[in-house]
Amino acid sequence: MLEGAELYFNADHGYLEGLVRGCKAGLLTQQDYINLVQCETLEDLKIHLQTTDYGNFLANQTNPLTVSIIDTEMRKKLCREFEYFRNHSLEPLSTFFTYMTCSYMIDNVILLMNGALQKKSVKEILVKCHPLGRFTEMEAVNIAETPSDLFNAILVETPLAPFFQDCMSENTLDELNIEILRNKLYKSYIEAFYKFCKNHGDVTAEIMCPILEFEADRRAFIITLNSFGTELSKEDRETLYPTCGKLYPEGLRLLAQAEDFEQMKRVADHYGVYKPLFEAVGDGSGGKALEDVFYEREVQMNVLAFNRQFHYGVFYAYTKLKEQEMRNVVWIAECISQRHRTKINSYIPIL
Amino acid sequence: MGSMFRSEEVVLVQLFLPTAAAYACVSQLGELGLVEFRDLNASVSAFQRRFVVDVRRCEELEKTFAFLQAEVRRAGLTLPLPEAGLPAPLPRDLLRIQEETDRLAQELRDVRGNQQALRAQLHQLQLHSAVLGQGHGPPLAASRTDGPLESSPLLQSPGGPHQDLRVNFVAGAVEPHKAAALERLLWRACRGFLIASFREMEPLEDPVTGEPATWMTFLISYWGEQIGQKIRKITDCFHCHVFPFVEQEEARRTALQQLQQQSQELQEVLGETERFLSQVLGRVQRLLPPWQVQIRKMKAVYLALNQCSVSTTHKCLIAEAWCATRDLPTLQQALQGSSSEAGVSAVVHRIPCRDMPPTLIRTNRFTASFQGIVDAYGVGRYQEVNPAPYTIITFPFLFAVMFGDVGHGLLMFLFALAMVLAENRPAVKTAQNEIWRTFFGGRYLLLLMGLFSVYTGFIYNECFSCATAVFPSGWSVAAMANQSGWSDAFLAQQPLLSLDPNVAGVFLGPYPFGIDPVWSLAVNHLSFLNSFKMKMSVILGVTHMTFGVVLGVFNHMHFGQWHRLLLETLPELVFLLGLFGYLVFLVAYKWLRVTAASAASAPSILIHFINMFLFSSSPTNRPLFSGQEVVQPTLVVLALAMVPVLLLGTPLFLHREHRRCHSRRRQQPDEDTAGLLDPPDASLASQGSDEEKAGCPGDQEEAEFVLSEVFMHQAIHTIEFCLGCISNTASYLRLWALSLAHAQLSQVLWAMVMRAGLSLGGEMGVAAVVLVPVFAAFAVMTVAILLVMEGLSAFLHALRLHWVEFQNKFYSGTGYKLSPFTFAVEDE
Repeated sequence: MLEGAELYFNADHGYLEGLVRGCKAGLLTQQDYINLVQCETLEDLKIHLQTTDYGNFLANQTNPLTVSIIDTEMRKKLCREFEYFRNHSLEPLSTFFTYMTCSYMIDNVILLMNGALQKKSVKEILVKCHPLGRFTEMEAVNIAETPSDLFNAILVETPLAPFFQDCMSENTLDELNIEILRNKLYKSYIEAFYKFCKNHGDVTAEIMCPILEFEADRRAFIITLNSFGTELSKEDRETLYPTCGKLYPEGLRLLAQAEDFEQMKRVADHYGVYKPLFEAVGDGSGGKALEDVFYEREVQMNVLAFNRQFHYGVFYAYTKLKEQEMRNVVWIAECISQRHRTKINSYIPIL
Repeated sequence: MGSMFRSEEVVLVQLFLPTAAAYACVSQLGELGLVEFRDLNASVSAFQRRFVVDVRRCEELEKTFAFLQAEVRRAGLTLPLPEAGLPAPLPRDLLRIQEETDRLAQELRDVRGNQQALRAQLHQLQLHSAVLGQGHGPPLAASRTDGPLESSPLLQSPGGPHQDLRVNFVAGAVEPHKAAALERLLWRACRGFLIASFREMEPLEDPVTGEPATWMTFLISYWGEQIGQKIRKITDCFHCHVFPFVEQEEARRTALQQLQQQSQELQEVLGETERFLSQVLGRVQRLLPPWQVQIRKMKAVYLALNQCSVSTTHKCLIAEAWCATRDLPTLQQALQGSSSEAGVSAVVHRIPCRDMPPTLIRTNRFTASFQGIVDAYGVGRYQEVNPAPYTIITFPFLFAVMFGDVGHGLLMFLFALAMVLAENRPAVKTAQNEIWRTFFGGRYLLLLMGLFSVYTGFIYNECFSCATAVFPSGWSVAAMANQSGWSDAFLAQQPLLSLDPNVAGVFLGPYPFGIDPVWSLAVNHLSFLNSFKMKMSVILGVTHMTFGVVLGVFNHMHFGQWHRLLLETLPELVFLLGLFGYLVFLVAYKWLRVTAASAASAPSILIHFINMFLFSSSPTNRPLFSGQEVVQPTLVVLALAMVPVLLLGTPLFLHREHRRCHSRRRQQPDEDTAGLLDPPDASLASQGSDEEKAGCPGDQEEAEFVLSEVFMHQAIHTIEFCLGCISNTASYLRLWALSLAHAQLSQVLWAMVMRAGLSLGGEMGVAAVVLVPVFAAFAVMTVAILLVMEGLSAFLHALRLHWVEFQNKFYSGTGYKLSPFTFAVEDE
């Protein structure tokens, strides 16, 4: 790709970039959060959200409000914005958008497969699927019995197909295998996305690569954490780590050998970026959960992405920030509806 | 009209509204639109206010209204405009409206739901019959006859264990955009153990949107039960409608007939439902518009009430509002009228206030556009001199100086006149086109601009760039020819002849009005006009600016800042008039005193003016008048001496005042302590000091007095004014430049298009034919380039001259508008 995005970027993507920056300005501010936290009921929450960019998004709800309605409506709103961006995008930005949806598609496929395994009806699970990762063949996922079945029959036409290269096996789909499948898919997805951004070069690479590196490393940490005490062997574990992060290769090797949280922490200590994150994690009573620490770091990186112009990272960053905001609102709404106000302040502010 | 000169007196009033009558009072105020409520609960968030429940109820109702409205729209009906003058409903009426709305909405929802269900059912039936019907079509019939033929030997020959293995069918309909994906997925998932045929059917009405949509019907034949399950799952996930499909053709035909009968019955029921639906919609159409207006008013009233605070006894609401002094009696009357029912009357009383009151300038449809020009720069400070009344004349005039042409001005005037005459027609009033509304809003402005352009056009003697000879010219060529004895040979040799005004009888006297038409024939037409227009621009500019400085006097007098009169306005006037006023004097003097006879040795104003600043004189340039050597240096010295006065005068004066006040207060703290401890006295004291603004400035102001800051401001002001005098005078030269450009452009258009066209055809017929397109081109270009484009450019420059050159001499424009609480919808 040519260097010097500023020369030609605006011709194709200027409108969308302007739009996404405008949308970003509509994210809830600290003051909004302070007001939301003071709400007594979900109705109050709704009234307050009406004064923000969410506007009348709940106006057509005739039934009493629940947290899940708020969540669904917020997702719909994000989805509408995203679809608008996507429909107005040109190559290579549209490919970038496709990559962005892939992660949601993977989640949806896995969700459906798990559902099929537990003999739940498709409709019930469809509600839980993320709207950004919807595709037509999705619901047919449960007819597949092996990963190669899944690939050959259903996913071959979707953007997910290339990520299946490493996961073709004739194993039956039980819970563990599905989880492994998800991680393998995610690994190849994130590596492909990373490669795409790297090849694109210019500011996009400069912004997106650190974000994706962090995402890859986060997955590595989370996989490690979740595999403690399961039957997953260390060798298998290592094959699940995405290899595009900062931890690759030594860190991942060390991580594969880790047996408990302390050892994991020791691995992280070798890296200037992750050391402070693990130090912020508290033990049970005080401090934050590792997940939250990671979220905070992600928010920080995504906000910084807006400091540069002429790159695609803003779209990614905006979607992620919006998701974080939705998680925050849902958290606050949950706390309000369950009358559990002590923890209401542990949302992750977007600064 | 008196209120045009400065904004009206506005006071802060406190309204004590008895709780029982508060609603009626505020709704009455909304009808009148007199007061602007101040938010007394700014620190309270929106959902913790007093009337939030009522607001929410109104919102709920509006939601239902939106639903009803959407239903009416969907049925292709429009809502009539509600009649004017509906009052806000009484709070107890809200319940009735709510009940009726809910009932109506429920009814509509039921009927609508019924209709939807029926339609969906009908749709299903139609799809089913289409699926069954596809068996009769020729292409599939052929393939189906093939099917059994091929399969029957296959089935029969093995016999025994495979007895139950036979061809099964799945038939249904799918949306066309999914058909391809479905087919591929079926093929891949079932590894080809099936035959699927897809076929497009004629468009059916979609049950939800009511728009025609095509569907694809499909017929899948397969072998084996496992595959059948798979197929069912896949068709499920594509949201296909799957119908039972019997193999026997005979049975199918009877089924088809049954279906058709059913759908006919259903259609009848549907028709009945739709009739009922239209009845309900008719009711909605009648009831909804007045309700909408009423509820909107009610919500506005509650939102206003939310800004009031509650008295300690909970017996009344206290509102603070800005109100024009002139409207106070009306306000009192209105409040008494609407609170009389409650037994306790609402009370209005003025309270002192430190905040700057909002600016209220009442306009009518004539002055509105001129006030708009001023407000676009900045809404005036409270009680500041309002430039709008002067703008009414100066703006069109300065525009016309740049746009001077009788023809163009007349066209503009007629266009504006047409708008003015048609302004009461509803079609014109309600036009939505944004560009049209802009022009329509400024119709009186355009009218005056056109009128003044006609006037300056006569001065320049230009009508579509051609001179008109209304009066006989003051120049006589015959006299010149006779006197100097031009022979034929001389005339043939010389392409140019010059008229000498010194020869007796050649120049008879000035033209009665404007420029002599003979100049349009002269070669030095342009240089003559340039000299005239340049001098005219400077004279107009200096006059305009001086007027601006003089207007500042009224500001200072009104605000009681007498020191500024002496320390600012006077030096400014001396500086401006001493330098540029003198220039104007030179120009006028030379015009009046230098005659044609002494033209050869006429002094140059430019050299004189330059020498004036250099304190020198050039020997070749004759003095204009005696004593000039004394007057000029004196003026320069005087003007320069004014700069330090302007720079230091006000800050030093304020500093001294401040010190004096300070020391005086230090002398009498003993007397004050008692007063300060006693609350009522203190409030009285503060009230008193407020009343006499002219006296010692308020305590707060005094406390904030910082000498360096005042100096800074004054220094900026001084530099801006002194440099501004020079640059602004130069800026007025745009009058010359623009009018020159306009004249030249219209001349080019005339010479290149119209005159060329006129000289084209020698014969009568040819000329007549050619002139039609030529004139069309001329007319279009005149309107597009000269009227619209040039007009906009002249407008822009006139705007700039007013905003920058004129208004910065006296107008601060830092106020905010009074925006009263009113139900009236903004017209413009």
